Amino acid sequence: MYNVRKVTDDLYWVGANDHRTHLFENIHPIPKGVSYNAYLLLDKETVLFDTVDWSVSRQMMENLEYLLGERSLDWLVINHLEPDHAASIDLILARWPKVKIISTEKGFMLMRQFGFHPDEHEIRIVVEGDTHCFGGHTVTFVAAPMVHWPEAMVTFDLTNGALFSADAFGSFIALDGKLFADEVNFDRDWIDEARRYLVNIVGKYGPHIQLLLKKAGTIIDQIKFICPLHGPVWRKDFGYFIDKYDKWSRYEPEEKGVLIAYASMYGNTEAAAQALAARLCEKGVTNVTVCDVSNTHVSYLISEAWKYSHIVLASVTYNLGIYPVMHNFLMDMKALNLQNRTFALIENGSWASKSGDLMQKFINEELKNMTVLNERLSIASSMGADKAAELEVLADAIVESVKA
Amino acid sequence: MLFQTTPAHEELRARIRAFAEEEVKPIAFMLDQQNEFPTEAIAKFGKMGLMGIPFPKEYGGAGLDALSYAIAVEELARVDGGTGVILSAHVSLGSWPIFAFGTEEQKKKYLVPLAKGEKIGAFGLTEPNAGSDAGGTETTAVDKGDHWLLNGGKIFITNAPKADTYVVFAVTTPDIGTRGISAFIVEKGWPGFEFGDHYDKMGIRSSSTAELIFNDVKVPKENLLGKEGEGFKIAMATLDGGRIGIAAQALGIAQGAFEHALSYAREREQFGKPIGVHQGVSFKLADMATKLRCARFLVYSAAEMKEAHVPYGMESAMAKMYASDIALEVCNDALQVFGGSGFLKGMEVERAYRDAKITTIYEGTNEIQRVVISSHLLGKLTKGNEGGGRSVAKKPAPITGVRKKHIFRDGDALQKVTDLVAALKKDGHDFSVGIALDTPIPQAERVVSAGKGIGDKKNMKLIEDLAKAAGAAIGSSRPVAETLKYLPLNRYVGMSGQKFMGNLYIACGISGASQHLKGIKDASTIVAINKNGNAPIFKNCDYGIVGDVMEILPLLTEALGGTEEKAPAPPMVKMKRPTPPKPTPIGKSYVCSGCGYTYDPDLGDEEGEVAPGTLFEKLPEDWVCPECSEGKEQFIEA
Repeated sequence: MYNVRKVTDDLYWVGANDHRTHLFENIHPIPKGVSYNAYLLLDKETVLFDTVDWSVSRQMMENLEYLLGERSLDWLVINHLEPDHAASIDLILARWPKVKIISTEKGFMLMRQFGFHPDEHEIRIVVEGDTHCFGGHTVTFVAAPMVHWPEAMVTFDLTNGALFSADAFGSFIALDGKLFADEVNFDRDWIDEARRYLVNIVGKYGPHIQLLLKKAGTIIDQIKFICPLHGPVWRKDFGYFIDKYDKWSRYEPEEKGVLIAYASMYGNTEAAAQALAARLCEKGVTNVTVCDVSNTHVSYLISEAWKYSHIVLASVTYNLGIYPVMHNFLMDMKALNLQNRTFALIENGSWASKSGDLMQKFINEELKNMTVLNERLSIASSMGADKAAELEVLADAIVESVKA
Repeated sequence: MLFQTTPAHEELRARIRAFAEEEVKPIAFMLDQQNEFPTEAIAKFGKMGLMGIPFPKEYGGAGLDALSYAIAVEELARVDGGTGVILSAHVSLGSWPIFAFGTEEQKKKYLVPLAKGEKIGAFGLTEPNAGSDAGGTETTAVDKGDHWLLNGGKIFITNAPKADTYVVFAVTTPDIGTRGISAFIVEKGWPGFEFGDHYDKMGIRSSSTAELIFNDVKVPKENLLGKEGEGFKIAMATLDGGRIGIAAQALGIAQGAFEHALSYAREREQFGKPIGVHQGVSFKLADMATKLRCARFLVYSAAEMKEAHVPYGMESAMAKMYASDIALEVCNDALQVFGGSGFLKGMEVERAYRDAKITTIYEGTNEIQRVVISSHLLGKLTKGNEGGGRSVAKKPAPITGVRKKHIFRDGDALQKVTDLVAALKKDGHDFSVGIALDTPIPQAERVVSAGKGIGDKKNMKLIEDLAKAAGAAIGSSRPVAETLKYLPLNRYVGMSGQKFMGNLYIACGISGASQHLKGIKDASTIVAINKNGNAPIFKNCDYGIVGDVMEILPLLTEALGGTEEKAPAPPMVKMKRPTPPKPTPIGKSYVCSGCGYTYDPDLGDEEGEVAPGTLFEKLPEDWVCPECSEGKEQFIEA
């Protein structure tokens, strides 16, 4: 059964939802699913903007057959070659042998590398600033390198103001009937997953997001629809989401608050983390999130790290090193280029406590523009009442820093 | 492109030459003989508006370019090398850092009178153990809340003691290398700021050179120049420009000597002809003129590059090195042309010969200039941190973090103890209140702790008395509790024992094993008393007295007000400790749009044979991304 939604006159969402894939990019859990968005423009000529993941290609084909009816597909515009959008290219090419393809030079290179067959079709290689008219609608192409692949571009329909933004402004969570961001409670139900999507996938490329935002800024008054490749379409409140993107890509905290991430083998480090959380809340800093690094997927930890201004790392010493899962979290922060946070440390060790010094060294030497508070809570095996004063000092230091 | 100066430059040259010929030349021999500073001439030069040539008019300067300034130094040095360096040190070293790094208030207060010539400026970097290697700086400036306390000394300071304002470099964060150095503006006349003897020099005797001595000089907070930790950057940037001044001075000295030799070669006759017709002399003159022309182009070009704000560090080093090297050759040849007459005192070439020598030495010896030039060519070839690179700490920071390490050395034991107590009170420790001697260590605001240096068990009475006087609990090192059993095991401080997190820790006879130091790294203030001045505890303390605990402890107990019971202390307010400053990157990083690779100038690109320290702008045009081979133009600022 076809399942399409109208974005605006002549423009339809022809994508699909996916609840059966457990791991996005085979790494990030997506318990609430994800949508793969493709869009069909029915102008004098017919145009498909991007395709969908292999897993839902049958749904997309049903949608296209329904909307095209007797017409054939004239153009395929590929903004981004990652297979969650590009996997169905060959299916399209086989079904409509005369379809013509538009993409960037690197886009075509990747298309061939992934084993698709554009060369049996008429192709048009576009660069930034090129335009193309499909009859009534004229679109222009804007390079979006490293958001988050080098070939990526976004396409802007000058006629109806639709911006096909590729992976920018996307989100996890399946649409499940909704299409527009104003049809959901985005700030309540979606923002955490939108952040987790963006910072884990594109977090490293903040400067390139900034570059794209700058380009978008010059046409912001002409944009009427933002049509990303995942998640809802935006037709109002652009400022809300652009402001989030601006903060995330400048590595500025979204909120004053504290993420406490602990690595605990038998619950003793966890007890210290919980005690600290309670002390912070008692002292008036209640915007606190506590995560066990061992059973929280690192993509969630990264998302929380992006959200908060302060991060407490509490780790046991393991083989004279940092607990492996905590180490992995630190490595991911480095890989994704997180900056401008204030850290506090809790270390635990039963005979030779090393985790505190090693975490501090990692933060100072491997991460950028981070501050580590002098105050550190050191625990030998378990936290006794004699550590209450040390805990108090640590909590005070964090509260002072959060409120500064 | 005729490589010519403008008519305005040549008008300025004529004006300064006239001044130098009229005001300096007649007294130059006298100044040289009597080791005298041309006070009146410099005042007059200032009134002519020429002491601030390269600074904007709004700051009292002449609003001219760097080349005009180089010409001014050259013209003064042409007549008298000493007078040339007075201007060079005043402008390049004493005034420029304030212009480039000063706040608006600092510029109004200090730069304006300097640029107007009402005041003279100088620059204090060199020390007995820190010249070319600024990382060896030993002068310290300690943050005292509302002011900095400056201690130490500087040597070979041009324009001292005549100068009124001094840009002085001092260590504000010890043990982290050059990034622990900060710059300050210090005024002559402040209490504790004195001068050593005026040096008796071989040449440039009309310029004044002296030692600076700082003894507890209070420098107001607002006199920090630039940011804390930026001192090394400021010094290096200043010296880049200063080299143009010295190069111009060398050029002027050589030009003067050459002109004297040229006219002498025309006048002096031997074998019935002017000696200039002999190739032995004429070829010398040809060589001299050629060298001068080369040097002049190097100097003027470096000045033009500075003015155009393009990187000029290598070019100014080349100019300084070459101009001073050839100044020695030209002066030597000029004197040779004069024969025996040139060997006599009172002859300009004799003075030029002596004046020229310093130009290959100061503001970076010519050997150091070659280091600068070659490092621009090759980058840093050694890997890792050896060799004391730019922002690299010479040794790891002490275990207890960044500490003041103020060791009281003045006077007798009583004086040291009195000074210590005064410093502690000033930091905010209130000794009218106290805590119980047996307060658990982690909860104690203060602890007096005994190490093995305490000796016999009966001496623990000294510890107890001091603890009472300091309003502190009693603690110890591990051996004192575990081996000597002077105290219960739960009172030893260390990584494996109790951790002290209060405000004041007084370590008595504790040498400072790393296990112990790790237990006190959160202490706000650490005081060390030990008879071994080399004990590690002194590298980890805020205040220290090198002395016998038997002598110091009773004095300290007395100075803190004796052993009478104190009022109970209110709940502790933890005193904050500073976090050490981070090194500032040498330049911006750039990200590749083809793959996301980041070019970090601090790291360079090893595979592409780009040395660490190479700015992105300085990468060769054909350099490509080491990961995906995109060109430079595909990079955006990170």
